[in-house]
Amino acid sequence: MTDAPDLKPLKTWSHLAGQRRRPSEYEIVSTNLLWSTDDELPWSLSPDMDMNQWYLKYRDGSPLKHVDWDAFRDPDGLVYRTYNILQDGQEAYVDGLLDEHNASGHDAELSAGWLDSLALLYTPARYMLHAVQMSSAYLVQMAPASTIVNCAMLQAADQLRWVSRTAYRTKELSLTAPDKGFGDKERALWENDPAWQGFRELMERALVAYDWGEQFVALNLVAKPAIDEAFVRQLGQAAHRAGDGLLRQLLDAQQADSVRARNWSAALVALALQTDGNKQVLADWVAKWAPLGDAASDAFCAALPDAGDAAAQAKDEAEAFRAGLGLGR
Amino acid sequence: MALLDRSDWYDIARDTNWTPGYVPREEIFPPQLSDPYGIPVEQWETFDEPYKVSYREYVKIQREKDSSAYSVKAALSRSKFHDDLDEGWASVLKLHYGAVALTEYQACQFQARMVRFGPSPSMRNMATYGMLDELRHAQLQLFFPHELVSRDRQYDWAHEAAHTKNWAVLGGRHAIDDIMMCRDAVTGTIMVSFAFETGLTNLQMVGLSTDAANMGDFTFANMITSIQSDEARHAQLGSPAIEIMINNGKKKEAQQAVDVAFWRMWRLFAITVGIPMDYYIPLDQRHLSFKEFMHEWIIRQYDRQVRDLGLETPWYWDLLADDIENHHHCQQGGIWSWRPTVWWNPPGAVGPREREWLEEKYPGWNDSYGTYWDVITDNLLHGREEKTHPECIPIICNMCQIPISNRPGEAWKARALQLEHEGRRYNFCTEPCRWIFTTDPDRYKHHLTIVDRMYSGEIDPPTLDNVLTYMGIGVVSEGGRDGHDYSWVDGFRTQAAE
Ligand SMILES: [Fe+2]
Ligand SMILES: [Fe+2]
Ligand SMILES: [Zn+2]
Repeated sequence: MTDAPDLKPLKTWSHLAGQRRRPSEYEIVSTNLLWSTDDELPWSLSPDMDMNQWYLKYRDGSPLKHVDWDAFRDPDGLVYRTYNILQDGQEAYVDGLLDEHNASGHDAELSAGWLDSLALLYTPARYMLHAVQMSSAYLVQMAPASTIVNCAMLQAADQLRWVSRTAYRTKELSLTAPDKGFGDKERALWENDPAWQGFRELMERALVAYDWGEQFVALNLVAKPAIDEAFVRQLGQAAHRAGDGLLRQLLDAQQADSVRARNWSAALVALALQTDGNKQVLADWVAKWAPLGDAASDAFCAALPDAGDAAAQAKDEAEAFRAGLGLGR
Repeated sequence: MALLDRSDWYDIARDTNWTPGYVPREEIFPPQLSDPYGIPVEQWETFDEPYKVSYREYVKIQREKDSSAYSVKAALSRSKFHDDLDEGWASVLKLHYGAVALTEYQACQFQARMVRFGPSPSMRNMATYGMLDELRHAQLQLFFPHELVSRDRQYDWAHEAAHTKNWAVLGGRHAIDDIMMCRDAVTGTIMVSFAFETGLTNLQMVGLSTDAANMGDFTFANMITSIQSDEARHAQLGSPAIEIMINNGKKKEAQQAVDVAFWRMWRLFAITVGIPMDYYIPLDQRHLSFKEFMHEWIIRQYDRQVRDLGLETPWYWDLLADDIENHHHCQQGGIWSWRPTVWWNPPGAVGPREREWLEEKYPGWNDSYGTYWDVITDNLLHGREEKTHPECIPIICNMCQIPISNRPGEAWKARALQLEHEGRRYNFCTEPCRWIFTTDPDRYKHHLTIVDRMYSGEIDPPTLDNVLTYMGIGVVSEGGRDGHDYSWVDGFRTQAAE
């Protein structure tokens, strides 16, 4: 061969050999793993087959463009191995919280009024969190680089974590307060109660935002921040006011997962903004989706006991997060 | 009272279907991504996974598994195991990692399809763990070969293979794209969770891990066993889906999905597992022949599982029995002859003792495959190495993408199964490959085999060098050579001398 490449021994994968640093475990096991982004045609079946068309339209045809999405890195640098170490520790902490509060008869001390609030505003959240789990899994299928896929994957897993813990608390509360409809009324409330209709509309519409970039904006820049602020933070503060130390601490633990989601979302926006034109694309999507996020926060916070300016705070904080990324309205 | 049992709250966590009000349900669950069979959602809500786990248990168990899998690696890097490793076994590792690592990664996206579009909440939750499992499998099987890449560039294929157009990769990608990446959530789980994972990945665990332990490669044996313990859990997504299909009058569709997927994956597994078991692993370390293994673990067990679920034995079961006798022997001959095109160093490994073993395990081997190796052996004994490289371009199966090859010798049956479709002639290795094409010609008709690409202008001009470069040979690493530098013919020299 005339132009045979230099096949000298490698110290790492050939695709990482050009970088000056020694690659980390994270880079070794996370980078450039998708084969469907190698060629013009994602999958080696007919071009007009529906799955090829789906990826061509919603991934490769997205208005959000970058020449090298594989340059993305998770700021937390998590791999499967370290994710489990992290979350096993976090879950041991949550087990401790639940055990302790159960032993001290925590739930029996809750007022009837607060139990009504929990039945209305807390336990139906499993539907919302599950929708976030589904939506995150859509990003897993559609993101154009393995490093982005992995962040979405761990985000989906985090949602199942809180779906599970919410189900756990639903059962536990039903034992203390059998007459409040715990474990029974959640679906009807999620489908009909005004407090949830904003989040339900937001998530149903987000689930069908099939362009991968728009899905990311709708989910990670609008829906999750709204959930973090209205549900996690404002409901957590209401729990504190009502003497529900357990829910307050559970929601704080949930917040730790959201911090990671925000870290990678910020990194992805920063990468996207390297390309001319993306700022406008992202801003247009934010303009389309943020009002739905605001409406969801308004509806939810209006039902919080002694809400004060909870809705305004929630909306301001979500907006501040986006503004910090250069995407304020 | 302290902590609740999982069973106390588990059903609540999988009660997450709701009736959408702002967007039609069919838009959230498009049939082509979710359930194309029109089974009512209440039916899907009866989905009950046989194996249950909570997130809390999952992260704890998996953390422990990883700490044991990776600790073996720490011991490995101090050991001399790879210093004087038999190249036959090294070839098993190179072939395995190149074929598997990124395929496991693609399985994350496959599981994610079930998480997003699965019509049953249970399926969506279980697939969330399945998705994480596949991330584990990809990352483990990248981490370990990366340890070896400084010893031998051929290990770089663990990461690079799937990004090349090596002929073996084209076959793997075509099958995986077909059954795993381009199916709706329901068909996908039947094809992958059941036919592939329940049916065939047992091959890897029981077949390769025992051999690995015999080889003293405890890292690999442990890793495969550990991976398989995840697989045993998430493979159980398949059977409840099949039961729901059957209960709702879709037995025929379920049967077809299972039969298509099983055959597609069988054609590949015979290469990645069958050839190692019967050729690459040194004779003294072999524990079962591939055929014994297939009859014990696949023919008997898989067939029973299929019938227990209410499906039928696949229509091609007799053809499978025939393929077990032949396919991997054909491909051992082909791959060895075309060794410069692969990223491992396949040993011929058919010296006198090996041939005796092959004849015992596969009566008639000497009179058939043996005749093929007789010519090669003779050429090697007489210093005509160049004559051991083939001159003709093979015909490639338009389904499995594997060269079409038949049992040589007395019983030679020159079979070329063909099909004309919209003016193009397609070749197939076997009836099941042709049948799969006919189930959905539009899906498959445009694909070009590696040989088609030599004539289509994609590899231009199709000189040997250009073809090799196209396949990543000389780019990622050198191509293969005989793994034992032909030392297996020495036994015949001794015989001749005696
Ligand atoms: Fe796997
Ligand atoms: Fe799997
Ligand atoms: Zn075939």
